[in-house]
Amino acid sequence: MLQQLANGVFAGSIYALFAIGFTLVFGILRQLNLAHPAIFTAGAFVGIELATRLGLPMWALIPAVAAAGGLAGVLLERVAFRPLAGRDDEHFAGLISSVAFGGILIAALQARYGTEPQSFPTEYFPNRLFEFGGIGVTLMQLVTLGLALVLMLGLAWLVSSTPMGRAMRAVAENPRAAKVLGVNTGLVTSGTYALSSALGTVAGALLALNIGQADRDLGASIELIGFAVIIVGGLGSLWGAMAAGLILGVAEALTVTYFDSTWKGLVAFALLFAILVLRPRGLFGAVKVREV
Amino acid sequence: MPSPLLTVEALHVSYGRVDAVRDVSFEVPEGGLVALIGANGAGKSSVLGAVSGLVRPRSGAVRLDGEDITRRPVHRRVADGLVLVPEGRQILGSLTVAENLRLGAHRRRRQAAPEADMYRLFPVLDERRALPASALSGGEQQMLAIARAMIARPRVVLLDEPSMGLSPKMVDEVFTVIEKIRAQGVTVVLVEQNARRALRVADTGHVLETGALAHSGPASELLQHPKVVEAYLGIE
Ligand SMILES: Nc1ncnc2c1ncn2[C@@H]1O[C@H](COP(=O)(O)OP(=O)(O)O)[C@@H](O)[C@H]1O
Ligand SMILES: [Mg+2]
Repeated sequence: MLQQLANGVFAGSIYALFAIGFTLVFGILRQLNLAHPAIFTAGAFVGIELATRLGLPMWALIPAVAAAGGLAGVLLERVAFRPLAGRDDEHFAGLISSVAFGGILIAALQARYGTEPQSFPTEYFPNRLFEFGGIGVTLMQLVTLGLALVLMLGLAWLVSSTPMGRAMRAVAENPRAAKVLGVNTGLVTSGTYALSSALGTVAGALLALNIGQADRDLGASIELIGFAVIIVGGLGSLWGAMAAGLILGVAEALTVTYFDSTWKGLVAFALLFAILVLRPRGLFGAVKVREV
Repeated sequence: MPSPLLTVEALHVSYGRVDAVRDVSFEVPEGGLVALIGANGAGKSSVLGAVSGLVRPRSGAVRLDGEDITRRPVHRRVADGLVLVPEGRQILGSLTVAENLRLGAHRRRRQAAPEADMYRLFPVLDERRALPASALSGGEQQMLAIARAMIARPRVVLLDEPSMGLSPKMVDEVFTVIEKIRAQGVTVVLVEQNARRALRVADTGHVLETGALAHSGPASELLQHPKVVEAYLGIE
């Protein structure tokens, strides 16, 4: 039972990391970026590539993956969202073009790696097991949880307490007013996508590190639970995404223990429906990025 | 004669098929105060939109210090010292008063507390600095909107209907602030519904009618101009 709880927390920290990236873009820019699961998948492959080809150690791997994610985010915004700005249907059109961007990214990964799963080198990361009062925890799980917490708290700090974050909150509330005050809204938009995608790729690489491998369906496997986390937490709410990620991770792990793994998805979505009925704006209320 | 600080040349602004501004030209000398008056929908905000960069004109040019800035993005014009205080104030209500001010202070990031000058100029903001800006009264929000522009140490301030919706007492305060701004040597373009007040503080006035300039001249002459009096000033 406690073991399952711990496993749930580790899985949940990855869900939360996936979810805050997505919810950040919505909270600041009111855009739904459906390429996020593909960016997540790409993060896993980039991680494996850098580990096997360049032999990058873990401490260098994560920043490198984040940097690649940041660049991908800037590109994504340029090609899938910016050209549509100002159209009457820009939100719906952006939804579709981001699906297309994601599809192209997955196809490119498949062209390069085929459909077979790719693995990290054996013994890439020390396979250490710790025991805390009967609960077994791997070093990788601890690193994952620690990194996820640092990144999430770091993002919350950036948004609430830095000039960049202040500009982001200004754009979230009123892009026109922000512009008039001299905020470079184009830069804020690119920066938001860069942050979002960096978090998404790191989440993907962390999941792949935990299971040792990745295939092109990695994003599809987190997509549904990830979006459930975003809605349960309240679309646009950073704290909500963090809390909901952990809650759903734990709920999922407990379901597997007490029922069996076929029920796994069901409980997450039962929770999702319950939240939508009881608190339609999510646990923390929607669109709270400005008030982190 | 010295070249003007701000020049608007043959400006044309349209929204789809609606022509909002047609062939408008005027100049603003350094340190001058130019009033732009006209009825609702005459195109005053559209002119300021094109000058500030929020609106892309169909044709014509905007020059700052002789340099063509017609295609320059808004944030760069702000950095060059051309700042708009938009119609309806556009306060960021979820940010605190201090955060609103600091946003305006992009260019002065290295300075320790750029807000200090503004708190001296607008003591009411000092008392409320930690509150969300949405908690301010209409008049206080207008003061914040002006302070937020002034904190960037602009060369030119464009004020779009700063007295709109304010009590007579607050209107007086806004006009006092405008006089202080110009006393600091800052160039001002003032758009107002309150035409008489605007022309009294201005050196030069321009009257816009359905997108085109109908009358231009020294403000003191416009205040006596029979047609302007009849249409915009009425009997006092
Ligand atoms: N964003 C817009 N889209 C379409 N028409 C607009 C827009 N903004 C202003 N207009 C039209 O342009 C004309 C001038 O408007 P505006 O510049 O706001 O005038 P003023 O500030 O003098 O009241 C009006 O007919 C108005 O309806
Ligand atoms: Mg107007």
